[in-house]
Amino acid sequence: MAVIEVDGLTKDYGDVLANDDLTFSVAEGEVFGYLGPNGAGKTTTIRTLMGFQSPTAGGASVLGHDVTDEADLVAAKRRIGYLPARPAFDETVSGREILDLHAAIKGDERRAALLDLFEPPLDRPVREYSTGNVQKLGLVQAFMHDPDLVVMDEPTTGLDPLMQRTFNEFLDAERERGLSVFLSSHVLSEVRRVCDRVGILRGGRLVATERVTDLLDRTGKFVRARVVGAVDADAFALDGVHDIACSTTASGSGDEDGGSRDTRITECTFTYTGDVDALVARLGECTLVDLTVEEAPLEEVFMRFYGEVDGERVDGRKHRRARDSADTGDSDA
Amino acid sequence: MGESTGGPGTAPTRVIPMLELARFEGRQRLRGGAYATLALCGFAALYVVVYPTFAESMGSDIDQLLEAYPDLLSKAFGVRTLASMEGYLASELYTFGWKLVVGIYFAYAGASLLAADVERGRMDMLLSLPVSRASVVVQKFAALLVPLTALTVAVPLVVVAGTSAVGYPIDAVDVAAFHLLSVPYLLTCGATGLVASVLFDRVGLAQRAAAGTLAGLFFAGSLVVGTDLEPLGLVSPARYLDPNAVLIDGEYAVLDALVLVGTTAALLALAVVLFRRKDIE
Repeated sequence: MAVIEVDGLTKDYGDVLANDDLTFSVAEGEVFGYLGPNGAGKTTTIRTLMGFQSPTAGGASVLGHDVTDEADLVAAKRRIGYLPARPAFDETVSGREILDLHAAIKGDERRAALLDLFEPPLDRPVREYSTGNVQKLGLVQAFMHDPDLVVMDEPTTGLDPLMQRTFNEFLDAERERGLSVFLSSHVLSEVRRVCDRVGILRGGRLVATERVTDLLDRTGKFVRARVVGAVDADAFALDGVHDIACSTTASGSGDEDGGSRDTRITECTFTYTGDVDALVARLGECTLVDLTVEEAPLEEVFMRFYGEVDGERVDGRKHRRARDSADTGDSDA
Repeated sequence: MGESTGGPGTAPTRVIPMLELARFEGRQRLRGGAYATLALCGFAALYVVVYPTFAESMGSDIDQLLEAYPDLLSKAFGVRTLASMEGYLASELYTFGWKLVVGIYFAYAGASLLAADVERGRMDMLLSLPVSRASVVVQKFAALLVPLTALTVAVPLVVVAGTSAVGYPIDAVDVAAFHLLSVPYLLTCGATGLVASVLFDRVGLAQRAAAGTLAGLFFAGSLVVGTDLEPLGLVSPARYLDPNAVLIDGEYAVLDALVLVGTTAALLALAVVLFRRKDIE
C-alpha cells in the first residue's frame, strides 16, 4: 500500500511551472527523500500534498485520501505529522501552550519522549526562540501524536550539527518502527544518510526516482589532487574519471632555495565514479601535496546524470566554481 | 501501520467541530480585549461626567447649539437632542464611540484573524492539524466573542452607574437593550473584517480594506437619508442600529437586529467558501 501516490501532479503559478506532471509513489514504511536544488519545486509538491494549495492538473493521495478533497484529507491528518520549511508559531505564546493546542487537537502520546530528545525551550514566548529552537519545537509537534506518515520540508535546516545527528538517529529508529517518511532536502549527504529511496526534482520535473544505494554508486566522488610537477590530464585517464581539469602553477615555496627541484604544482580536479583501488594506485605514483576526496556535490550529480538539458549545465558549473574557491586547502582524504 | 489507511470503501471520518482552536485564539485576545474594554469604559465615564457641567452651562439653549451644528455632522453622528442624558449619550457615546470606533475595532480584529497567520507563515502549521478550513474560520471568528463579551458587559455597567452617580440616571433596561442589539452589529463588523482577511494576505491591507468599507458605509448610510440615494443606505450596517430610538424612545428594533444576524451569517459563510477555495501562499 502506497502512503503517498502522486499522479501527473502539475502546479502552474503562471510565471513559473513549479511542478510539471509529477508521478511517483512512496511505499508504506519507506523513508523517501525528495531531492533537488533550491527552487526545484519541492515545497510546492509538499504543500499540495498537505492540501494547502490545489494542483493545476493531476492529483495525489496521502494515506489513501484525496488531497484535493478537503473533507477527505482532513480525516487523514490525524495520522500525518508535518514540518514546514520554516515553521512559525504564534509569537506571544510559549512553546508549551503551542504543544498543548496541538495535543488537544491531534494527541500527544509521544510528547514527553520527544521533549527529552530535542529539548526545545517550553516556558518562554516563541518570539524569543532562536531558529534552531523553533525547528526543535516543530519536530516535537510533527511526531508527538505518533503519526503513520511524517512529511518534512528541509527538516535539518537551522539545527546545529549535534542536533542534526540526534535527528538522524531518531529517524533511523523511526524507520525501524515502520514509520513512513517523506522529506525534502537539497543536501545529498543528508538524504543518503537517512533515506531508502530518493526522487530527484529539477526545474519542476522529476528526473529520477531510485534507491539511495543505486544513486550513490552512480554519483561518485569529487577529487582534487595537488601534485608536484607538471602533470597532464592524461595522467588520470582512468575509467570513471569525468570532467577532469588540470592547471599547473609555479609553487611559491622552494623558490628561495633556487635548487633544480621541480617547484611546479599541478592541481587536477575531477569527478570519479570508478574503482577506488585503481584511483589510489594511480595517485600512489604521484607526489601529492594535497588530496581531497569528498562526496560529489548535488549539482555535480545533477549535471552528470540528469543535467544535459536546457542550459542548466552552466548553472551547475557556477555552483562548482563558487564551491572550489570556498574550500581551497581543505583536506580530508 | 495499525488501522486501515482508508481505502475506497472506508468512509472518511467527519471531524466533529472542536473548540480547542477557538479557546486558544480567545486566550490570545484576552489582553487586547481587556485594553479595549478599559479604554471604552474610560471614554464612557468621561462623557457621563462631563454632561452635567455641559447641560447646566447651556441651560435651555442646549438644542440651539444643535442647530448651529452643520446639518451633515448632526446627521452623520445621529444627533437628535442634547437636552437629555439619553440623547447626548445616544449621539456622542453610542453613535460615534460605539457604532463607529468600536465597529472599526471589530473590523480590524476580524481582518487580522486569518491574514496574520498567512502573512507570518503560520497558516501551514495550523492547516496541518486535523481541522477543516471551515472550522478554522468559524473558530477564529468565535474568538471575537472575548472582546465582544467584555465590552458588552462592562460598558453598560459604567454607563448606568455613572449616570446615576452624576444625577442624570437613564433607564438601565434601555441601556442593556441597546448593548444586546449592538451585538449583531459588532459581529457584522467583525465578519466584514473576516472576509477581508480571506481576500488579502497582508494584515495591513485587510484591516484598511475592512475599516475603509465600514467607515464609508457608516457615513454613506447616514448622509443619504432623505436624498434620492436613500436606498443605497440600506446596505450600511449602521442603519440597523439606532441608539436614539432605543435610549430616547425605548423602541427596540428587533427585526433590524435580525437583519444584522443574517448579514453576519452570510459574511461568515462567504469567508468559509472563499477560504476553502483559497491557495495558501
